[in-house]
Amino acid sequence: MADLSFPLISAAVGIPLIAAAVAFTWDTRARLAGILGAAGATLCSAKILLEVNAAVGQRLAEPWAFGLFTADSLNATFLLLYSLLTLGVVVLAPRRDTSARITGATLFLLAATLSAYGADNLIVLGAAWVLSALPLIVAPFTGTWRPRAGLAVSCLALLVAIGIIVQSAQSGGDLEPFSLASLQGHNYGGSAAFALLLIAIVCRKGIFPAHAWIEDAAEAGPVLPVCLFINGHLGGFLLARVVIPDFPLVSLGAFPILSDLALLTALYAAIRAVAETRARRILALLVLSQSACILAGLESATQEGITGALVHIIVVSVATAGLFSVLRLMEVRFGRTFTADHYLGLGEYTPRLAVFFVVCGLALVGLPGTLGFCSEDLLIHGTLASHPQIGLLLPVATAMNAASLFRLFSKLFLGKARGTMQGITDALPRERWVLTSIVVFIVAAGLMPSRIVTLRTNAAHAISQLWESPKTSPSAQYAPAAETRLSR
Amino acid sequence: MAPGALFALFSFLWLLGWTPPERYLTRVTAVVYLLSSVIVAGLTWSLYASGETAITISLGDWFVVHNYHFPLELMADRLSLPFLALTVILVGLIGQFSATYLHQDPGFERFYILLHLFAFGALVVFAAGSFDLIIVGWEMVGLTSVLLISFFNYRRGPVENALHVFVVYRACDIGLITAAYLLHHFAETSSFVNGMPHLTDGHASLVGLFLLLAAAGKSAQVPFCGWLPRAMEGPTPSSAIFYGALSIHAGAYLLLRSQSILLASTTASVAVIAIGTLTAIHSTFVGRTCADAKTSLACASLAQLGVVFVEIGLGFTWLPVLHILGHAMVRTLQFLRAPSMLHDYHQVHAASGGHLEKTGRHYDYYLPEPVRIWLYRMAMDRGHLDTLLENVFIQPLLQLSRGLARLDRIGLTKSEGAANVPPTIHTTLRADEGVRNG
Repeated sequence: MADLSFPLISAAVGIPLIAAAVAFTWDTRARLAGILGAAGATLCSAKILLEVNAAVGQRLAEPWAFGLFTADSLNATFLLLYSLLTLGVVVLAPRRDTSARITGATLFLLAATLSAYGADNLIVLGAAWVLSALPLIVAPFTGTWRPRAGLAVSCLALLVAIGIIVQSAQSGGDLEPFSLASLQGHNYGGSAAFALLLIAIVCRKGIFPAHAWIEDAAEAGPVLPVCLFINGHLGGFLLARVVIPDFPLVSLGAFPILSDLALLTALYAAIRAVAETRARRILALLVLSQSACILAGLESATQEGITGALVHIIVVSVATAGLFSVLRLMEVRFGRTFTADHYLGLGEYTPRLAVFFVVCGLALVGLPGTLGFCSEDLLIHGTLASHPQIGLLLPVATAMNAASLFRLFSKLFLGKARGTMQGITDALPRERWVLTSIVVFIVAAGLMPSRIVTLRTNAAHAISQLWESPKTSPSAQYAPAAETRLSR
Repeated sequence: MAPGALFALFSFLWLLGWTPPERYLTRVTAVVYLLSSVIVAGLTWSLYASGETAITISLGDWFVVHNYHFPLELMADRLSLPFLALTVILVGLIGQFSATYLHQDPGFERFYILLHLFAFGALVVFAAGSFDLIIVGWEMVGLTSVLLISFFNYRRGPVENALHVFVVYRACDIGLITAAYLLHHFAETSSFVNGMPHLTDGHASLVGLFLLLAAAGKSAQVPFCGWLPRAMEGPTPSSAIFYGALSIHAGAYLLLRSQSILLASTTASVAVIAIGTLTAIHSTFVGRTCADAKTSLACASLAQLGVVFVEIGLGFTWLPVLHILGHAMVRTLQFLRAPSMLHDYHQVHAASGGHLEKTGRHYDYYLPEPVRIWLYRMAMDRGHLDTLLENVFIQPLLQLSRGLARLDRIGLTKSEGAANVPPTIHTTLRADEGVRNG
């Protein structure tokens, strides 16, 4: 395995941690610490992506890091994407959301999530998973009991699964029982570990019936950090990084059920959003629905579906960051949260924020000319190819999401503004530059998607290779079902 | 590409804070569509001179994944060229008309930006060489249509009607997306540059019916025709170009493009004829009870569209194309003259010496009175189709959604639910009003 030129992942994790410590102790400079911390992580992640691209399909280990972190085509993009999202959110966050507590916790979340992406070790992955959930489980993003319970179950399930896998690897004589690279195709931990990993994924991603905590967290918590937390997509990442490599044949046999569950969640959340009136909840349900599509794509076991899912992660992350940001900026301007009961006519005072909102929203639901169209196209082809009947739910769910989103846009920004709304300002320069960057990225990548799609195709190819050539097949009882699915 | 580039340029400049003067916008629009008209004329001439059936341009693949690729193929043949010409000429004319009509309107720039996006979408639909690419233009046309319906967004009516139209569009677009996927599945391509893919009877029926769903939605055929009168809330120039000329005929174009698939299936052909016939009858009745000029014209458009659908279902090719071209031109003129209708009437009245014959007596007067009353009520409610869709789809969906919301609240105590809800903008407004009212 080749090496990175410098311990860049450790640096990408360490810089935000130091910045978090600074933010916690130096309240008046919290935003500056946040910007510097996220910018440092972004630079390191960009360098990692460049080196991974130059290495063409190889995994790059870190020098002097004892095999804790590794970079490859799957995680390099996520590292950069997450760092950029955090940077954008810290820059445009309204002043009241840049307290030492919230900024420090956001940087801590960034460091933990980057650790999970970069982990080459089960212990590091497990620890990062738990640490990234801490701001929602204990403080300071805590809402009602459901987010705490959902995430606690998810953490517990993952830790127990890791314990079982490690014990199974040690008893199987594996010399590196903690290494992710040594897992491939061994089915360590058997069906118990597999089931626990799936429980961890279902709870973390908010797949039905463990979905309600995402709505609660978005409604009651500080919305921008919660949005960042949801956009980590660590559930999907765990699936691609641990579940498929360790259990290639078992996963192929079990995925139709999980995939159907994901599509059901997409439809469930879409239907829920139709009559929902609270703006934050509507957005949370849309994110939930579109995130479930990601899982459905990963589980389709087709290259189109997996690539679509990996591209859709980018779309969902960027678009929902834009949507939640605009919503939060509007809330701060008016001092209250919004409901979609009446036409508020805010677009009269904030036309640019309205345009940012509608472009991000339409990208989320796959409008042509945005990157969302490419990812939706690939997802629909992938899911319809793997299971045509249930795959039809995906375009139906997307259509309903589009209707809910346009309803929310209409209620917030169209109609006659009421008198008490005088004095609302449109996007400030720092907000405008970040949101314009998001819109330009969504549109430019949508018009010329081949570069991003190719980048993700390499990762999708690596994942599908795991199914096509599992090292051993201790789970031979699943082989017939797996072969049938691969032949599609 | 030129309209798309104009849209991107003006939008980007606006986001950065620059608003171009009206004169600049209209002149650029005039030059671009004049040049586009010349290019379309050149394409027509080169097609005629070469004697080929089509001119195709391949821009490579938009993106490729494994065995799936999204080809960017443009095609100008004898079917698409008339529609391309219609688009550039009419958009150019509407651009000039709107310079006066919307002069000093606060939404002047927004109208032109959306007009360019619409022109780009329509050109992509008509020049596309595959169903995948048609979807791209199709959705752009739909989106601009909705945004222009809500053009006067300070009124509640246009905004509500735009949402209604958006829902119908998105629901029917599922048909086009699924049909494109099925073509990939059955024939491994959705491209028709080298001829339409060959399908078996069963496959052709399935694909044809999904295409019919998409076409019926876009062309406002039964049972989706309720959205067209609602779409009249937009400014008159956009009503003219969308619902008199281009957008409304996009569904007919889709069916003409896929006519070989439709004709390969008796089921699909019969369905097209049936829907066209029903629409023609329905809109004729409804049109007689309309109280305003634009809605009357919309119903008249629908009646003609129904006849065009019947012609397509019967296997005619040139007849529906000529019908569409003639209808689009006449209807655009009528829409543009609609705001001056009273003025026109007075002129005609004066020219005839004040002796205009009464109109409005039709064959339905031969029907018994109870039947006439029943027909009148049905026509007033637009055939109860909106009520039907509301009762069959919308209300059950809303009830299901509210039921699921109750399911999601299980486990939350009342106090937790209340603590979970921060004060909203409406509670604040009510509180403010309470304070003001003492």
